[in-house]
Amino acid sequence: MGLARAGLLLLALAAWQLASFGGLPSYVLGPMEILKDFAAALGTSELYEHIGASLARSLPGFALGTVAGIALGLAAGASRWFDRMVSPAVFLSYPVPKIVMLPIFMLWFGIGDLSKILIIALACFYPVFINAYYGARQTRTILVWSALNMGAGQARIFRSVVLPSAAPMIFAGMRVSLALSFVVMFAAEMINARSGLGYLIRVAEYSLRFDLMYVSLVSIAILGYAGDRLMRSVRARLLAWQGESQ
Amino acid sequence: MRFVLVAVALLAWEAAARSGLWSPLLFPSLARIAWELGRLLASGEFILEMWVTLERALGGFALAAACGTLLGVLMGRSAFVAGLLDPLFSGTYAVPKLALFPIFIFVFGIGSLSKIALVFLECLYPIAIMTYHGARDVNRTLLWAARNMGASRVGILRRVVIPATAPFVFAGFRVAAPVAMIVVVITEMLSSADGLGYRVIYSLSSLQTDRMLAVVVVIGGLGYALDRAVVLLRDRLIYWEKLDTYYV
Repeated sequence: MGLARAGLLLLALAAWQLASFGGLPSYVLGPMEILKDFAAALGTSELYEHIGASLARSLPGFALGTVAGIALGLAAGASRWFDRMVSPAVFLSYPVPKIVMLPIFMLWFGIGDLSKILIIALACFYPVFINAYYGARQTRTILVWSALNMGAGQARIFRSVVLPSAAPMIFAGMRVSLALSFVVMFAAEMINARSGLGYLIRVAEYSLRFDLMYVSLVSIAILGYAGDRLMRSVRARLLAWQGESQ
Repeated sequence: MRFVLVAVALLAWEAAARSGLWSPLLFPSLARIAWELGRLLASGEFILEMWVTLERALGGFALAAACGTLLGVLMGRSAFVAGLLDPLFSGTYAVPKLALFPIFIFVFGIGSLSKIALVFLECLYPIAIMTYHGARDVNRTLLWAARNMGASRVGILRRVVIPATAPFVFAGFRVAAPVAMIVVVITEMLSSADGLGYRVIYSLSSLQTDRMLAVVVVIGGLGYALDRAVVLLRDRLIYWEKLDTYYV
C-alpha cells in the first residue's frame, strides 16, 4: 500500500516534469524549477521577512481567537444562563463569512496589523467556541455527580471533569482554527498589506514573476502543513490518555 | 431572552453612531444602513449582482458535492482507493488552497471560472473526508445481514451504504456551504468587476461605509440562507435521524 501511494505521487510528479520539458504555459512551472526557485529564495533574507510578517499576524490572531473561543465556549457549555445569553448570537452569525468584516475593521482599527490580527481572531473564534461548547455539554452527568459526591467544589469540577472531557473537542476546533488562521491571514494580506506571503504572491502576480508566485505558494503550503503537524503532536502529548483518534 | 445579546449589540451600535464621537463614515447609523439596504434590494442591478455571487458559490459547491461524495464513497468502500487518495487529502488538508488563486487566474481566466474552481477545491475536502469516514464506518452487521439475505453489490450500496453514509455527507455539506460563500467573497474582493465581494471593496474605496455595511448584511444573509437550505434538505432526506445539535 505504501508503495502504491508513493508510486502515484512519483508518477504524477514525473508526468508533470515531463510535461514541463514538452513546454507548459509560462505560468505553470515544473517541479524541478519550483524546487530550484524555492531553494534560491531560502538563501535570501527577503523570504524570511515575509514569513515573519505573516506569522506575526496569524499567530496572535489565532491565540486571541482560541483563548476567547475556549473561555466563552466552556462558559456557555457549563452555565445555562450564559448559554442563553451568548449562544444564539454566536450560532446566528456562524455561517456569515467573517472576512467581509475586514474592510470595516480596516476603517476602525487602521490598515496596519491590528485589523488583520482581529479579523483572524474573529474567524478562529467560531470553530473553537462551538467545539468547546459541545465538548462541555457532552460531559457525562454521572462523572459530575460522582465528583459532587466526593465533595468537589464548582471550580474543581470544572477543572477536573468538564475541562478534560471537553479537551478532545477543543483540540479538534483548534485544528480547524489553525488552518483557518493561515487562510484568513493570506486573504487579508492579498487584499491589503505591505509585507507577508499574501503580499508577495500579489506582487509576483502583478509583475508576472511566476517564480516568486510559486515560492510564496510553497512557503504557505509548508507553513500550513507544519502547523497542522505541530498541533497534532501537541494534542497527542496532552491527550495521551485519550488515545489516537480521527 | 434568546436574542438579548444581539439586541444589546445593535443598541450599542446605534448609540455609538448617534453619540457623535465618531464620524458617520466609521459608524453609520443602523437607519442609514437599513435605508441603503432597501435601496440596494429594490434595484434590479443589485439583485443581478447577488445572483452572480450565488451562481459562483453554488456552481463550485455543486461540483464539489458531486465529486466529493463519489470520491468519499470510493475511498470508504475500497482500501486501495483509500490508500491512494487519503494521504493526498490529509497531506494537503491544512494547506491554504487560496494561495492557488493567482495561478488559477492565469489558468482559468479572471472571470467566474477561476472562482468556481477555487470554491470547488476548498469545498471538496470537507465533503470527501466526511463521506469517507461515513462510508468506511458503515455498521458491519448491516452489511453482513444484507449479504446473507442475498443482496447484490449494487443493492448493498443503494440500500445500506448510501443511507448509512448520508448523514456524514450532509455534515460535510454543512461545513462546505459557508466555505463556498467565504471563498467566493474573498476571490471577488481580490479580483473581480462584479459580485458582492467586489461591491464591498468598491463601496469602501468610494467611502460609502453605509452601503458597504448593507452589502455585508446581504452577504451574511446569503450565508445564513445557504446554511438553512442545507439543513432543510437534510431533514427532508434523512428523516430517520434527527440533527443532534442544540441551536443549529
